[in-house]
Amino acid sequence: MPLDIGIGLSTEKDYSLAAKEAVKMASMDMVSEKVDMAIVFSSRDLASIGLLKSIALSTGGVPLIGCSATALLTPHGIIKHGVAVVLLSIPETIQTTIACIQELKNKRGSESGRELADRLLADFKETRRVMGLVFSDSSTEDAANLIAGMRERLGKMFPILVGSLSGNRQPHRTYLYFNHNVLMDSALGMLWGGRLNFGMGSCHGWKPLGKPRTVTKSQANIVEEIDGEYALKIYEEYFGASVSELRKNFRIISMLYPLGISIDSEKEYLLRNAVAIEENGSLRFQADIKQGSIVKLMLATKESCFEATRRAAEEAKRNLAGLSNESAKTLNKRIVFVFESLSRQMLLNKDSAQEIKIIKDAFGPDTPLIGLYTYGGQAPLNLGSYYSDQSHFHNQAISILALGG
Amino acid sequence: MSFLLVIIAVTAAAAMAAILSIKIETVKRLQINLNRLKRSLDEMDEQAKLIVRTDMELNKVQQELDKRTASLATLQKLSRSISGVLEVKAIFKGIKASYLQEFGFDKSCAYLWNEREGNFLEVLSIGYTEEEAGAITQYINSKKHGYWDWLLRERPFSSISKQENKFLKAEEIESVFKTSSFIISPILPAEGSKGILFVGTANPEVAITEGDEELITVLANQISQSLENARLFEKAWTTQQSLEKNVEERTHELTVALNEVRKVSKRKTDFISSVSHELRTPLTSVKGYASILLEEKLGKLPTAAKERLEKINHHSDELVHMVNDLLDIARIESGKTVMKIEGQNLNEIIATVSDLIMIQCKNKNIELKTDIQKNLPQVMADRNQLERVFINLLGNAVKFTPEKGKISLKAKGNDEAVEVAIADSGIGMPPDALTHLFEEFYRVDNAVNQQVKGTGLGLSLVKHIVEAHKGKIWVESAVGRGSTFYFTLPIKQ
Repeated sequence: MPLDIGIGLSTEKDYSLAAKEAVKMASMDMVSEKVDMAIVFSSRDLASIGLLKSIALSTGGVPLIGCSATALLTPHGIIKHGVAVVLLSIPETIQTTIACIQELKNKRGSESGRELADRLLADFKETRRVMGLVFSDSSTEDAANLIAGMRERLGKMFPILVGSLSGNRQPHRTYLYFNHNVLMDSALGMLWGGRLNFGMGSCHGWKPLGKPRTVTKSQANIVEEIDGEYALKIYEEYFGASVSELRKNFRIISMLYPLGISIDSEKEYLLRNAVAIEENGSLRFQADIKQGSIVKLMLATKESCFEATRRAAEEAKRNLAGLSNESAKTLNKRIVFVFESLSRQMLLNKDSAQEIKIIKDAFGPDTPLIGLYTYGGQAPLNLGSYYSDQSHFHNQAISILALGG
Repeated sequence: MSFLLVIIAVTAAAAMAAILSIKIETVKRLQINLNRLKRSLDEMDEQAKLIVRTDMELNKVQQELDKRTASLATLQKLSRSISGVLEVKAIFKGIKASYLQEFGFDKSCAYLWNEREGNFLEVLSIGYTEEEAGAITQYINSKKHGYWDWLLRERPFSSISKQENKFLKAEEIESVFKTSSFIISPILPAEGSKGILFVGTANPEVAITEGDEELITVLANQISQSLENARLFEKAWTTQQSLEKNVEERTHELTVALNEVRKVSKRKTDFISSVSHELRTPLTSVKGYASILLEEKLGKLPTAAKERLEKINHHSDELVHMVNDLLDIARIESGKTVMKIEGQNLNEIIATVSDLIMIQCKNKNIELKTDIQKNLPQVMADRNQLERVFINLLGNAVKFTPEKGKISLKAKGNDEAVEVAIADSGIGMPPDALTHLFEEFYRVDNAVNQQVKGTGLGLSLVKHIVEAHKGKIWVESAVGRGSTFYFTLPIKQ
């Protein structure tokens, strides 16, 4: 029996009607009548236990994982209200399990990561694990440590795709869905193993500008000095703006013009958004920047972002093709998940939907597609020379995961 | 040996000096190149700064432009949804959270001045709990003088404009309304309650621009216009309601009066009918005895007495005629007359009546012309009553037409009725006479009527007969230009 996937989308205002409609659509999309797992993404206004219970009622209470988001990416465009339900019928040759960990604030990130990985591995001892999917609403600093903790258990180079759902200055709450529970301050994991055919691609499209600079003093995600000067000076110089002006517009500036960490032998820079200006002029970033790192100010255009989307889609497609076998190709259904950094929307604005078109062009117009906006993500970028024992936190990136096919 | 060593050493030193010199030269060149490279990098960095600043400006402009475009589209949608609304509550109900989100806001409330209670009344609340909304209303009313002072300035007040007066403080508003940015715009309809529109966001990442201020001002103006429309509609509606009430009352009064008139009319009819009946018996006796005396069955009468008896007989005939007319009218009015309604050929009736009237015409040398439409449809009528109509109208025509005059009788039909027109070249009537012509006992004041006696019941009877046949009767006339009487009768379907 091949992997069977169905996807349903509803924009009904009532959560119960929305759940029923989305499940019905997803069921109709499937060949198999057996459902083993549900992945649910919804707009914030629909996030409720009622939504999950309605889905459970319609699916027979299969394991469920998902989250809310500021907007959903669908084949029909970007929607701010709605629910997407992905139903999976999983063959014996593929194994998957889900787990969650709560009260992240009371634990160290790495400790949470190890615990989450242990829970995932509890049911997963015989099968070869191949890929992990994580949703977390912890702060982005902790998300990096969470993944590092998971990697201690799952393997240093184990591919994990992470959607970080909580921004450091995010005004709205995000909710995580685990079976029929709506959770906060939690992380959810989904582990896949066996003969799963998948492909991942992740790119950002930002380009370096100006002369290279050296991080001369840093502690974890706080950069104190760059080229021997207080870190904020780099932004003061480039923007010709005072500290107060920078503070006022810093969210936009840091999102549109992040710092890029130069990685030897890699074309793509690793991006870091500054999230706060400290009193002493240090900059707090969403993830670590090592002392001695060579950094540059980064800049993007809409076209460079679209080009990055194209490359991410092609990379995911190439990886997918590389792993597939002939029988799987013909029998298994395919689905594309998109995790996009919300900061890209700031640059792309009304042209954001163009990215969906690019992905559809790459995978085919009828390939089921669902995505959501995140506040940063992690995906394997093959940048092992920078952090040999950690996964890589990206800002501004679009990460594409293709399953099946 | 030692000399040789010295030479070697000197040579080596010279060579080393030469190498060193070359190296120094190389280092110098490298230093120059390095300096050039550093300078190039610095120049490149300066160029990068220009690029970044330009890019930042372009991004800002683009974002503002995109936001304005999207907001204008939303404003258009919102305006369309509230512009046609004519009820105050419904106007504010039209401002939905989704529209606000498209503008970039998540909280809104609005207040209208309540003249009777002397405070601001909440008419809109989005993004607040009931408790929060109540606290804000309380705050607004505790500062109502400040808000009135600001309302009269007719300018928006926001996180960025901050034209504070002694009552309104931006930080205080941000705290009470639980927002990080806000815009308050006055609602100023031409007449009626003035008010306040507040929009804001708790999202510290949303920066309010002058464009937002303009947008919310336009929205407040749109609300003002809708309120004005609603007020005018309310006024028109109230006036209409009052008018309808007046009409209803008047109609009721008229109905009561009409019923009263009908009762009186019925009493009159009954009275006339009763009196006429009562008169007929003695009249018959009077006429009978007069006839007996005139026939001299009881003995020869003196000439003078005979002349008087002839007058009694003549006047008795007139009285009987009048009483019969009155009885006919009363019967028709009360619906007691049994009509034998059936299809009638007007050609036949007109021919019969024309024969009867022809003698009188010849006496006065009057020309009677008839013009009957070919294939005239049959009319639904009682033949005897219809003949009375023709005889009455033609009789009147002969009566009021001088010698050598002309009378015409025309008849034409359509799908529903036949119209008959009887025209004479007589003395005609003044306009004021036309309105009373069909009333009982009304006689036009003219030379003919002064000479010829009449009851004034003929036309009234004609009208009653025509209307009893569901027809209409009317007249056109002018003094010295003759008269034309028209009547219609329904055709046989």
